[in-house]
Amino acid sequence: MSEYAFRKIDIDALDEDVILPSDLYDPDPRGPDGVLSDAKSKSAEVRNLISRGDTVGALSTILTEPPYGEGVDEAKDLTTTALLLILNSTRSTEIPAIVKELSPEQQDHLMAYLYKGMAALGQGTDVSGSVLLTWHEKLTEVAGVGCIVRVMTDRRTL
Amino acid sequence: MGNTEVAVCANSNEAQIYARVGDAWELQHTLAEHDKLITAISWAPQSNRIVTCSQDRNAYVWTPTENGWKPALVLLRINRAATCVKWSPKEDKFAVGSGARTIAVCSFDEENNWWVSKHIKKPLRSTVLSIDWHPNNVLLAAGAADAKAYVFSAFIKGVDSKPEPTVWGDRLPFGTICGEFSSPSGGWVHDVAFSPSGDVLGFVAHDSSLNVVYPSGPGAPPTAYISVKLTSLPFLNLAFTSETQLIAAGHDCQPIVFTGSSSGWALSHSLDDPTSSSSRPLTPHGTGSRVPSGGVGRLGNNEAFNMFKAADSKQLDS
Repeated sequence: MSEYAFRKIDIDALDEDVILPSDLYDPDPRGPDGVLSDAKSKSAEVRNLISRGDTVGALSTILTEPPYGEGVDEAKDLTTTALLLILNSTRSTEIPAIVKELSPEQQDHLMAYLYKGMAALGQGTDVSGSVLLTWHEKLTEVAGVGCIVRVMTDRRTL
Repeated sequence: MGNTEVAVCANSNEAQIYARVGDAWELQHTLAEHDKLITAISWAPQSNRIVTCSQDRNAYVWTPTENGWKPALVLLRINRAATCVKWSPKEDKFAVGSGARTIAVCSFDEENNWWVSKHIKKPLRSTVLSIDWHPNNVLLAAGAADAKAYVFSAFIKGVDSKPEPTVWGDRLPFGTICGEFSSPSGGWVHDVAFSPSGDVLGFVAHDSSLNVVYPSGPGAPPTAYISVKLTSLPFLNLAFTSETQLIAAGHDCQPIVFTGSSSGWALSHSLDDPTSSSSRPLTPHGTGSRVPSGGVGRLGNNEAFNMFKAADSKQLDS
């Protein structure tokens, strides 16, 4: 496979004006520590809201200003776990009404987490593919394919 | 010209000019000078000149003579493909966007009988995909693959006289950044357009967004920055028809009219809705998903989709 070896050369190292991820989006103004403490308090709040049966409240809490970008892996994990908990504890007949309650911004974030969940299937997460697919179907019916396109283009990965 | 001629490039290195003869279009001229694919054509309606730009990193200005159209050299000085070109409203300049993170603003050099360019480089971080001129002949909008829309001054000494102050700024030496706006979800900017007055900037991006910006003055944040998140696939082009109306079209296979003001913009109607009974759709495969209730885009009802759907419920023999 020697003819493909050139593909592994880091040509960016030769470029003085290389474009970095930070050139394409602004980092979270809260900073890594602020993001983590926010994620912790939201995650606790979500558990509280779920136990009271307020799924819409829980979802919109966790989908407001979620952690993104680099260096906030712990906050991302906390948020993802809390979100999957909500998805698992919702009956499928309730999903359409819940999704409609969310703002367009929150719908985009939810779609991003659905794809993140699908990518992590079979890697020790306790969420099933059929749950994610049901949410995906209902969300696409409300937010359209535009929502999926936004998840694919957004470099602020959740 | 006069709605009787059209210049097209059939995905090759040649541009062709067709003229309307009776009910048909006849090939009149072929503009052959480029080595690679022509990426954009702009025809100046008053001075009757055509500028073409290409992946071969060159642009030519074509003038009609008795022996057909003759090309004039443009010194673009770019090291990547040219992607878009547009004549300024007064037709004494044009701008070329390129993959070299550069916009070349070109004006005529009579001494040498060629076109020379001045470069706008900063703060472009990626390929320039679209450009549009402000009606004052000085300001230039650009949309780039770094997910931003920019407004620059393209003032050329000796060509332009000092412009009247606008909402974009009053002192405008070449290369001044008068505005820099990000798309809401990081989609690269497909197209930019000024409103007829030039006081409003619109752009469409690949994150399925339509954005309209109302600047408030130099250095100040805009009065309004409206982002419409679409349920459909992204738009590729937009054009203002008035200060309160624009038309956008793209991957959704239908031109859509939007209306609005600085307090908000919203979808008005489609000009070619494939689901409406009175329409004669130009393209039969519109995703038709603007109205999100009707299922998921084009996946709703076609043979291939149904086959996979059925395969899911069949039992495998092995």
